[in-house]
Amino acid sequence: MQQMQKKLIIASSPHIRDSVTTRRIMQEVCLALAPAGIAGIVYFGVDALKLILISVCTCVLTEYLYQRLMNQKVTAGDWSAVVTGLLIAYNVPASAPWWIPVVGGVFAILLVKQLFGGIGSNFANPALTARAVLFISWGSIMGSYPVTRYMEDAVSSATPLALLQQDPSQVSVWTLLIGNHGGVLGETCAIALILGGVYLIIRGIADWRIPVSFICTAFVCFLLQGGFDLALKEVLAGGLLLGAFFMATDYVTTPTSVPGRFIMGAGCGLLLFLIRAFANYPEGCSFAILFMNVMTPMIDRFTMPKYFGEVKKHG
Amino acid sequence: MSTFLTILIGQILVNNYVMCQFFGICPFLGVSKKFDTALGMGLAVTFVITVASFFTWLVQNFLLVPLSLEYLQTLAFILVIAVLVQVVEMALKKLSPTLYQALGVYLPLITTNCVVLAVAINNITDGYNLLESTFSGCCAALGFTLSLLLLAGIRERMELSNMPKWMQGFPGALIMAGMMAIAFMGFGGLI
Amino acid sequence: MADTSKKLTFWGTFMNGLVTENPTFTLMLGMCPTLGVTTAAMNGVSMGLATTFVLVFSNLFISLLRNIIPDKVRIPSYIVIIASFVTMIDLMMQAYLPDLRAVLGTYIQLIVVNCIIFARAESFAAKNPPALSVADGLGMGLGFTISITLLSMVRELFGSGSVFGYTVMPASYQPMAIMNMVPGGFITLGLMMIVINAIKKMAAGRGRREEGLA
Repeated sequence: MQQMQKKLIIASSPHIRDSVTTRRIMQEVCLALAPAGIAGIVYFGVDALKLILISVCTCVLTEYLYQRLMNQKVTAGDWSAVVTGLLIAYNVPASAPWWIPVVGGVFAILLVKQLFGGIGSNFANPALTARAVLFISWGSIMGSYPVTRYMEDAVSSATPLALLQQDPSQVSVWTLLIGNHGGVLGETCAIALILGGVYLIIRGIADWRIPVSFICTAFVCFLLQGGFDLALKEVLAGGLLLGAFFMATDYVTTPTSVPGRFIMGAGCGLLLFLIRAFANYPEGCSFAILFMNVMTPMIDRFTMPKYFGEVKKHG
Repeated sequence: MSTFLTILIGQILVNNYVMCQFFGICPFLGVSKKFDTALGMGLAVTFVITVASFFTWLVQNFLLVPLSLEYLQTLAFILVIAVLVQVVEMALKKLSPTLYQALGVYLPLITTNCVVLAVAINNITDGYNLLESTFSGCCAALGFTLSLLLLAGIRERMELSNMPKWMQGFPGALIMAGMMAIAFMGFGGLI
Repeated sequence: MADTSKKLTFWGTFMNGLVTENPTFTLMLGMCPTLGVTTAAMNGVSMGLATTFVLVFSNLFISLLRNIIPDKVRIPSYIVIIASFVTMIDLMMQAYLPDLRAVLGTYIQLIVVNCIIFARAESFAAKNPPALSVADGLGMGLGFTISITLLSMVRELFGSGSVFGYTVMPASYQPMAIMNMVPGGFITLGLMMIVINAIKKMAAGRGRREEGLA
């Protein structure tokens, strides 16, 4: 089979098609993701470590095998599959069986990423789509959160999100910050996530506009719904921070223009609020970001700056 | 007022006819290659569905029910829709040639767009009154247009990427549609 | 019918609909019921057969009346003919198979706007004699039935761990619920089309090679 001829690629900066820079960027993302993973392993023990390893291995292996089978240049070593694997594992509860991250990893790499042309071509974030698929398919597995090793009472193993919508005073800000509560593997410790997110922004890898507008919009929405206490805790709880810093900032699935990025962030925040407050699923973060991924080509279409010298066509 | 809000959110997001209920898939896949044609199709469908919801409600409640001919619903509704499409086509040709040129190609296709018939039947099943029926038709059509435009946007973008040859065309569009449908599932239970 | 046309035979027309121009995988027609009802193999079979019934009879009648119907009102006439048969099968199912009718729901009524039926009426039955039109209806209908049965078998296998209601997956298998929902339908059909296109390409390649050798 011949190597597919690449069509003209149009994208604004940053150009991430160079494999050397892709690799460096992805390594930095892995580094930024490390604190949250360590927190997960501390809280949920060896189960968490096992799931992370399975997930990462599945992703890298799937990418490698597909590219070998299709006679493509093997880019499985560029660490992007590692990032996807980490994110999938972080979105799975530590009590999940081993095949959950395997199914998720294969789905993410094969269907969401490689079928659409590999890195830089997918329109939806692979890890996010995989999480949504797992959540819809095996809701009881994905929605049952184990108790952390340092929790005194088993009652509070219910996810803080469920408690918050009943009565915000049941959960303390400190618990949310250090992450000693039930939840999926990598989302519990807010401090670790903020640390990683700030690192990405300072290093210039993630654009600050999306996470900031995402978090602010969600905060304002919850502020209007139930006051400052609720708003602060809602922002710290659940997958919001993980999603805002690591999944909504994906280069290829977000708008390229500056106003487009604000729209993306604000849209995510608003949808997250709607789903958390009113819809069936307790956690709307993945669905909110995925919907904005789907909206991205349209947002780009209406916010792209006009090229210099372009003459408006007259009908 | 709250009924109307429920209909609006329900028809566009929660029960989107294409993304959540599998109606109107043929035009959804067939006319979503280019954004501009998708927009034209969406506008034409919106117009026809809104008017068709109005008339089918009248036919049901002033013709079929009084004569107890409800079992002829399918026949009567599809005739109303076919005639309507024909009338719209002729009227547009006379009144607004520009609009006719823009929408003309799509009009005959609308007769076999199952969203139109499905909306008409569901309006009756849900027991809406005339105003609610018309509004629900309009919203359902806007939901159809939204999903059509979203898919068209993604497909246009994917034209520029190096998708494998065997994914191009319908297989790719179907898998894209699947991922869009996953995103729409998040709205479940919103109303 | 033997001397009506040299090219078109009853069998050839039948096979054309069944394989060469399979409505689902080649023509991409009738997508709504294809995706809407295929969560269980039984639904696929019954929907396919109901559509085949309507398709055969509408093709027959349109073909019989093809010289009488004026060209200008042909679309409304076709609609009346098709809708009559749809109403018939709908009422019959309500009387004899109420459970199945409840599962298939509005999709039975929507056979009337199934583009396969319209497309065949317009492009085949309106131009060809009754016997051939029946063959076309049968071939297209069964081609549609087989395709949606295949699709629904795959979806039922993964979505419920069974085929035609019989459990085939081991007891430890956790059904993948998304297969029964809208996204599963889209993605499964997309993947199946990739596989079928690949098989077709291989078959065509082999055909060409054999020709070359001979």
